[in-house]
Amino acid sequence: MTLQPEDFWSFSEWLMRPQSFLESALLQGIVLVVLAILLGLLVGYLVSAVRYGPSEGFYAVARAVRDLVRSDLPGTSARRTYALARLAYKEAIRRRVLVVVGLFVVGLLFAGWYLDPRSSEPARLYISFVLTATNYLILLLALFISTFSLPADIKSRTIYTIVTKPVRATEIVLGRMIGFVAVGTLMLVPMAIASYFFVTRGLRHDHEVVDIKDLGDGRFEGKLSYDQFHEHTFAMDPPANPGEPALGSTDSVRGHRHVVRQIDDKYVIGEPIGALRARIPSYGTLAFTDRSGNIDDKGIDVGNEKGGGGYGASGISRLIGVASEARRLEYGFMEGGTLGSAIYTFDNVTPSRYPQEVGIPIEMSLRAFRTVKGDIVSGLNGTITMRNPDDPKIESNPITFVVQEYDVAEETLPRSIEGNDGNAVRTLDLFEDLVSDDGRLEVIIRCVDRQQYLGTTVSAVYLRPAESSFAWNLTKSYISIWLQMVMVIAFGVMFSTFLSGPVALVATFACVLLGFMAEQVYGIRYHLDRGEDMGGGPIESLVRMVRQDAMTTELDVDAVAGKIIKTVDAVMVYSLDAVATSLPNLPKMLGTAEYAASGYDIFNSLLARHAVATFGYVFLAFLIGYFFLKTREIAA
Amino acid sequence: MPVASDPTALAEAPDMVPASSPKSDVVIETRNLSKIYRDFWGRRKVAALKSLDIEVRKGEIFGLLGPNGSGKSTTIKLILGLLFPTSGRVLVFDQDATETRKNERIGYLPEESYLYKFLTTDETLDFYGRLFDLSGAERKRRIDELVNLVGLQAARHRQLREYSKGMTRRVGLAQALINDPDLILLDEPTTGLDPIGTRDMKDLILSLRDQGKTILLCSHQLSDVQDVCDRVAILHQGELKELGKVSELLKVQDVTEVHARGLTEAAKTEIAEVIRRHGGTVESIDNPTATMEDLFLNIVRESERRPGARRVSPGEGTNKKVATESEGKS
Repeated sequence: MTLQPEDFWSFSEWLMRPQSFLESALLQGIVLVVLAILLGLLVGYLVSAVRYGPSEGFYAVARAVRDLVRSDLPGTSARRTYALARLAYKEAIRRRVLVVVGLFVVGLLFAGWYLDPRSSEPARLYISFVLTATNYLILLLALFISTFSLPADIKSRTIYTIVTKPVRATEIVLGRMIGFVAVGTLMLVPMAIASYFFVTRGLRHDHEVVDIKDLGDGRFEGKLSYDQFHEHTFAMDPPANPGEPALGSTDSVRGHRHVVRQIDDKYVIGEPIGALRARIPSYGTLAFTDRSGNIDDKGIDVGNEKGGGGYGASGISRLIGVASEARRLEYGFMEGGTLGSAIYTFDNVTPSRYPQEVGIPIEMSLRAFRTVKGDIVSGLNGTITMRNPDDPKIESNPITFVVQEYDVAEETLPRSIEGNDGNAVRTLDLFEDLVSDDGRLEVIIRCVDRQQYLGTTVSAVYLRPAESSFAWNLTKSYISIWLQMVMVIAFGVMFSTFLSGPVALVATFACVLLGFMAEQVYGIRYHLDRGEDMGGGPIESLVRMVRQDAMTTELDVDAVAGKIIKTVDAVMVYSLDAVATSLPNLPKMLGTAEYAASGYDIFNSLLARHAVATFGYVFLAFLIGYFFLKTREIAA
Repeated sequence: MPVASDPTALAEAPDMVPASSPKSDVVIETRNLSKIYRDFWGRRKVAALKSLDIEVRKGEIFGLLGPNGSGKSTTIKLILGLLFPTSGRVLVFDQDATETRKNERIGYLPEESYLYKFLTTDETLDFYGRLFDLSGAERKRRIDELVNLVGLQAARHRQLREYSKGMTRRVGLAQALINDPDLILLDEPTTGLDPIGTRDMKDLILSLRDQGKTILLCSHQLSDVQDVCDRVAILHQGELKELGKVSELLKVQDVTEVHARGLTEAAKTEIAEVIRRHGGTVESIDNPTATMEDLFLNIVRESERRPGARRVSPGEGTNKKVATESEGKS
């Protein structure tokens, strides 16, 4: 899992962006709401002006605004909203949407057949599967229930009996939204519970002892049976006190291990441990040094391997061209056998935060880039050195490790370690000597093998002060899915106030799709901005596809046609870019599933950001929905 | 004949509200109300209503009459704010028709009972009660009252999808009355009702009027309008063609009607003679016929008193009996 810079932002940082306000979510939200209102008023006025003439049109629009502020918002009653919400809820329930939950559970029963049991990371597979399945299912459902209800009421004229009561348009829009959210929640909760049991039960398995060797002095070594496509070896120590059972542990295979107990003459194998985790990482800041030891902010670029993935956004700043591209974080590489290194500085390293007696757990998911084949059986070698940021002369001896690619390597920074205190070589205490007075610690990673490169990024190395529970982390993933559902419902209801059911469905779907594709749209605009020929916009791409031209050649049409195509494309791309920027960042929200699947605790601040963004969009959709419903002739 | 588009004609009409009439008495007022339906592109499709001026006064039953497409429903929709006027204004309780707050005092029974089929009667009424922000206790009281009034006690816990058309109509009426409204708009109130239901509906409308409520109804059933309405407006092709008190509009000025009981044939001849002597023309002296409605209602009531097959002997005409009962009632 690679995190992007904005993933590390705290809630307030994200909201305000103290250094660069143009990137702030608050600004983006305000601009969005203001633009939507202005655009709404303009369109409303134009439509009314065509119908009733310029002055009457103005009066109609002004009346809608006045009513909202003067009577409809203050007059919105909780009881009426609740009644309308309950109606929407009952409607959906009595149309038997809950059948979908049943289908989901049945789907889970059969899913076990199709999930590859040989996978090296079964936990990731299971968790990704349930989260993705629920996510898409719930979004699809939200799309259907939210877009068809209001148009159906208008078509069947049942809405007549509602709007002829003292019901405000605010209450109709809000009531629908709340009712459908309640239905969605009612479906999501059993799905979440079923998923939890599916994952925990699906990963549970057992082994038997097939081989055991007495090493003397009460220690044993042995092998467990081959079950669920893997096997373990284990080692047992003699019991700490006489009378207690002997305890041992297996090696870690496919992300888990087992505890082995000897009770009388029998060996009891415990349940898998460590498969389902929610690590709470503490990230540091990262700087690189080049091969001569000079500070360098990026590390070596090794080409495509540096790609980090993930989704970047920079608010308004990118849209207006201040920042040219969605900001992305990539892997920087250091050269082996040189002074090249990655220096992490961690804050708040205190004994109370890391009470473990052995030392501080540090975890790494580094990338290896080989320029020569070298020894392909074992991985590349690296070292970890700890250094006091206040006094760089105080430095521990390097701890060596073998890089485990595509896996999280767990190491420990020991409490006491041999090192140099600036004057002499002695045993250094981690907290006394290496951590600075204000609780900072530098950790330096180097690559040992010559001509090989080791890549890292901010999120690739972290200290792990604590661990959260898997159940709570899964719950947070589901909260994220819930927020996405709320967003889709709000958009669905908004579109259904002025479009017919199927059209509202397509419109909402288009918004979701564009939200998911935003990154690609940003990319196309980025290349357009820089004048790079990467296949061009939609029309140019179509021409190239039909003519079977390569992306990088000049567009082979005559000059005028070329100019027209490029101009139309530019208009389309810039408009799409603006729309994509104003749409909810669904991929980012979908990304929380990756946290849970990779075994990381979902940051609370991330969840808070998603929640605030969601409710911002809900407010926007509510305003637009109100305006359309208010100015609509229901019986026309 | 008063025609709305001609203001002088309106002023001369005997039944128009005098200019001095206190405004507080007027519940609905339309001023030069017009509605033109347009298509998606804003092109004019049809002028459904042309310069309508009517006033509905407090405590009266006002009927809107007219053939299909005459603009009755459009008028009701404009009054309710379901449509916006192309020109002119509608005032309900002195407020603009698009004002939401006016709905607190209005009850509306739509043409078809557009209700939620997946709700039961109780749920339906509870839902509409909540829309009026009624408290739980108040809703419960009103629902019990209305379920009894419209006679749906036995079926109150069944979903509306299982109801017959007449039953749905009753629920529709109950929901229109849930807020104890001052103004009730009834769009074709008797459609789908059997004769007993129709009779009950008419009785109910009259009793609502007696409680001081104002009722606007539109109907094709001319007999219904005749039976209950105080004043009617007749629309045709979107224009007001006639407006006035039912009793006066229907009165045939040069014909005299006398009802008497127990006259012999000799007496009838003598009366005819007297009429002729005074220069009048005898058109008919005959036994009156009752309406089909009266006949039907009498048969049903009798059947309720004495269940079983009803014997109709050729010599014993039922008409006589019906006529007697109906006279006795009036």
